[in-house]
Amino acid sequence: MKSSLRFEISLARRFLEENKIQTIVIILGISIGVAVMVFLTALIDGLQADLITKTVGNSPHIVISNADSASAKASKSLGENEILLIDTTENNQRPIAEWRSITEALSADSGIKTVLPLVEGSGLITRGQVSRSILLRGFDLEQADLIYDISNSIIAGNQNVSDGAVLLGKELASDLGVTAGDPLQLELSGREPLTVMVDGIFDLGVSAINQRWMVMDQRKASALLGIGDRITSIEIQITNVFEAEQIAREWAVRLPSYNIQSWQESNASLLSALNSQSSSSYTIQFFVLLAVTLGVASVLAISAVQKSKQIGILKAMGIRSSSVARTFMFQGLFLGISGTLFGFVWGLIMSQAFIILAKQGYALLLKPITSTIIALSTILAATLSAYLPARQVSQIDPIEVIRNG
Amino acid sequence: MAEVLIKTSNIIKDFGQKVKTRVLFGIDLEIQSGEFTSLIGSSGSGKSTLLNIIGALDRPTEGHVVVGGTDLDDLDDDGLAYFRNKTIGFIFQSHFLLPQFTVLENVLIPYLIYAGRTTKDVEKRALELLDMVGLSHRRDNRGNAISGGEQQRVAIARALINNPRAILADEPTGNLDSSNTEKVFSILRDINREYATTFIMVTHDRNLADRTDRILELSDGIIIKDTGTSDCVKSPFHASQLYSFLVK
Repeated sequence: MKSSLRFEISLARRFLEENKIQTIVIILGISIGVAVMVFLTALIDGLQADLITKTVGNSPHIVISNADSASAKASKSLGENEILLIDTTENNQRPIAEWRSITEALSADSGIKTVLPLVEGSGLITRGQVSRSILLRGFDLEQADLIYDISNSIIAGNQNVSDGAVLLGKELASDLGVTAGDPLQLELSGREPLTVMVDGIFDLGVSAINQRWMVMDQRKASALLGIGDRITSIEIQITNVFEAEQIAREWAVRLPSYNIQSWQESNASLLSALNSQSSSSYTIQFFVLLAVTLGVASVLAISAVQKSKQIGILKAMGIRSSSVARTFMFQGLFLGISGTLFGFVWGLIMSQAFIILAKQGYALLLKPITSTIIALSTILAATLSAYLPARQVSQIDPIEVIRNG
Repeated sequence: MAEVLIKTSNIIKDFGQKVKTRVLFGIDLEIQSGEFTSLIGSSGSGKSTLLNIIGALDRPTEGHVVVGGTDLDDLDDDGLAYFRNKTIGFIFQSHFLLPQFTVLENVLIPYLIYAGRTTKDVEKRALELLDMVGLSHRRDNRGNAISGGEQQRVAIARALINNPRAILADEPTGNLDSSNTEKVFSILRDINREYATTFIMVTHDRNLADRTDRILELSDGIIIKDTGTSDCVKSPFHASQLYSFLVK
C-alpha cells in the first residue's frame, strides 16, 4: 500500500470516530435503505421463483412437435388464388416417425434433464348422459413421473400404475361421476367408439389438467389413435429453466422441420408480469440509493465544514490536496461498507420475521448475485457521494484557516 | 560567515482580483542558517504575509524565494506541499492539534503524512521532543484534553519531528499568558541554540523580539529597520519602494 494512503485511511477513520453521533445516524440511515432493498428483493425474487416453480415445475420446459401442422402449412404455402381447407376436427398434430433418434440425441444434451416422447390426441368420453371432451395422453409413466409425478398424485385406485392402466383427471372423474373400476365410453376422432375401464384417478393440482387429461401407456394410446409406432410430440425438462429459450433455439437449428416451443413462449404474459414486478423493484432500489447518496453527501459536507481548521493545518504541514480529497472518499467508502453490513443484518432479520409472522406459502429468496449488486451499488453510491465534499475540502486554503485562528 | 538558508529577491504580493492591494513592496532578504530572527511591525504591515511566502504557504505575485537552494517558483502545488512537510516546521498562534489523535500521534503527524506508519526511531525521537517540551507524561492524552500552553508546546514538538531546516512561528505566544509565553519562548530559544535550527518568528511582543539575534521591522510592506546582523539586508530602501511607500 502506498504509504500516504495509510495515513489517509487512518485519518478518515478518526474523523468518523470523532463525530460518533453523526456517523452512527448515517450508518443507520444507509443500513435501513439496504435492509429495505434486501428484504424487498428477497420477497419479490421468492415470489417469482415460487410462481415459476408452480408454472414450470410440473410441466415441460420445451415441447417439440411436428412443424408441418395445418396452421404452419397455411402460413407457408397459401398462394394468392389458393383455398385451404383445414379439418379442425382432425387431430392436427402430425405424428413423428423418427422419434427414437431424436429422443436419443436430446438425452445426450447435458442441459436437458428429462425427455418424454408422448402420444396425444383429442376425443370425447361419455358415461350415461354426460359427455366431456378430453385430451388423451400416452407416455411411459415412469419417465413421465420425472415431470408430472403422477404416481404420487393418484387419489383413487391402484397406486402401482401398471402398463395398460387408464387414469383420469380428478375433475373430469367427478364431472362424470366415475371412480376407479368404472367403465367409460371413449370416442377418438376418426375412430370407432370403445369402452375402457378407469383404473385410477389423479390430482396434479392444476385444474386445466384435472379437467381434460386421460393418461395411459404410450403403446396403448398409439394403438387407440391408430398412429402405429409413432408419437406426436416430445416434452423436455431442462436443468436451468431460464435456459429454455436458448436450448430451444439451439435445437431449432438441429431440427429445422420441427416446431420447438419453450415455456417462456407459452407463458409470455406471466413473464411480462414478472418483468414489470422486477422493474418496480429496480425503481425502489434506485430511489433508496439516491437517498443514501444524498444522506452521505450531506453528512460529509457538514463534516467538511467542521473539519476545515484541521484540514488547513494538515495542509500547512504538507498534506497534498489530493490526499485530503481521498480522506473524504474513504469516509464515504467506510460509511457505505458499514451501512451495507448492518443493512444485510437488518434485512435478514426482517425476512426471517416475515417468514415467521406472515406464514406465506413461499420462501424468500436472496440470490448471491442480487446481494452482490445491492452491496456494491450501495458502497459505490456512498463513495461517489463523498466526491463533492472531498472537492470542497481539498480546496481549503491553509492561510485562511490560520489567519482566522 | 554562516550559510544563507533563505533568500528572497524583490518579493511583491498583491491581494484582490479587481481592486488590487499591494501588501509587500519588493522584499529583499537573506536569512542565515541557525539565525533566530523576529519579524515585528504593526497589524497589516505584511509580516505574516512575508512569513507565509517564505514558508511556501503562499506564492508571491512577483519575485523569488530560494530556500536551501530550491527556488520555490519551480515547484507545483504538490511540490510545495512536500517542501513544507520536509523543510519547514510551522508554529501558529492557535496550536491546531488534531483532537482525535493523542499528543504523541499529533507530534508524529507531519512524519505520518508521507510515511504512513511510524518506525521505532521516529517514535523515540517524538518522545524525546515531548520530553524536551516537558510533556512526555501527556503522551497518551487526546490533543484537546490538555491546557492551551501545553498544546502550544506539543505544536512545537510537532514542528520539529521532520528535522526541518527552518521553523516559522506566527505569534507563537499570542494566545498565552506571561508564564506560558516565557516557557514557550525559552523552549524555542533552546532548540535554536542546541540544534542550530533557523527561526523566523512573527511577534507583537517587543521584549521577546529583543531577545532574538535579529529584528526585522516591517511597515506597510517594506523592511524599515534591520537590527542585529544587518549585513544581511543589502539595501532596505529601493528607490521604487520609497516611491510606492510615499505614494501610499
